[in-house]
Amino acid sequence: MKAIRLTGPVILTLSLAVSLFAHHSAAGVDQTKTVTHEGIVKKFNWANPHSYLEIEVINEKGVAEIWNLEMMPPSYLVKAGWKSSTLKYGDKVTFTARPMRNGDPGGLFVSVKVPDGRTLLQTAPRGGGAAPAPQYQQ
Amino acid sequence: MNKSRAGRVGMVGLVLTFVAFGASDLLAQFQPAGTLGVLAPANIAKSRPKAPFDITGTWLHTQGENERFDPPAGFKLTPEAQKHYDASAAAVKEGKLYRNDIGLCWPAGMPIMMTRVWPIQMIQLPTSIFMISELMNSMRIVYMDGRQHVDPDIVVPSFNGESIGHWEADTLVIDTTGFVDQHHWIQDRAGIPASDALHIVERIKMQNQSKRLEIEFTLTDPKSWVGDWKITKHWDRQDERDIAEVECLPDLNEHMPTVHSSDNIREK
Repeated sequence: MKAIRLTGPVILTLSLAVSLFAHHSAAGVDQTKTVTHEGIVKKFNWANPHSYLEIEVINEKGVAEIWNLEMMPPSYLVKAGWKSSTLKYGDKVTFTARPMRNGDPGGLFVSVKVPDGRTLLQTAPRGGGAAPAPQYQQ
Repeated sequence: MNKSRAGRVGMVGLVLTFVAFGASDLLAQFQPAGTLGVLAPANIAKSRPKAPFDITGTWLHTQGENERFDPPAGFKLTPEAQKHYDASAAAVKEGKLYRNDIGLCWPAGMPIMMTRVWPIQMIQLPTSIFMISELMNSMRIVYMDGRQHVDPDIVVPSFNGESIGHWEADTLVIDTTGFVDQHHWIQDRAGIPASDALHIVERIKMQNQSKRLEIEFTLTDPKSWVGDWKITKHWDRQDERDIAEVECLPDLNEHMPTVHSSDNIREK
């Protein structure tokens, strides 16, 4: 499995983004962990109040499972370089996420390496690893 | 008379009865006969003192300010509210959620609908102020035309309550009552519930050349806590923002693992 190379400021931005992305309540999410998986996009839903990704991942037992990843609304994703057509059914991607504490496949989206080679976040990173734009909440 | 004809006749009779006796009474329940709605041109045209400021605009709760309504130091909850508070604290300790109603599409309700990190558009008329949050397009109408609160025995409980406003010098004062008694939280993450006895007074001032709003909230709810809670919060004008349709949809929500996790404790 390929790891996404993250620089210091990007990691700082990611951690701030996730902590601010408190969402409704993200108590079920393990904010201390970031996991990386490779998988096949089953669905990319571009919607308010949250976009989401469904990605099929083969787990360590060799069984396919669907990861549900909660994302920001489109108004934020656009600023981070996304379009509704950025990902489609069948795309092979590598993503990072903050996983659920209870082990269910899924969690809060952090980043994805899309087929054109870019690594996309949910918020536009600012210079010097400053805090990202404020996050929407439900 | 066959069955379908009897049904039709019955339905016509019901409608006629409603028209003859019901409709005017139903309308009259909420406002005295002859009262004009806030958008009636004749109501808008009535002579009133000029408003000290115009709140019309798009507003966002000031970033970096606590968006939750945390209780003041030394707060005392009623035994019933304390049960929820303790259960919520226990759930959080285990990394679980306690009655995450907002995540399950229940309206946030007042006062926390004002401080979601979503813009609120406000439109001020001489008779009323409309406030529409982008999140779930939740709406408040503040009645400014001199009416009083509806009789509490007939008011229809709601998540945002019934808001009556007036001006005191340069301050807009809004008095809100008439709340639901379930699925409504003052501090959802701490498990502090709102009851149907909730009463909110907002004292609103315009600041910084009309670019900032300050609202001092006084919250009382004798079914949930003892005494008054006072909290002051701010909003910044967002001239480059508009709001869109934002609905909390069941099928979308099924894909939100933080909402539909088995860790969302519902029953207690």
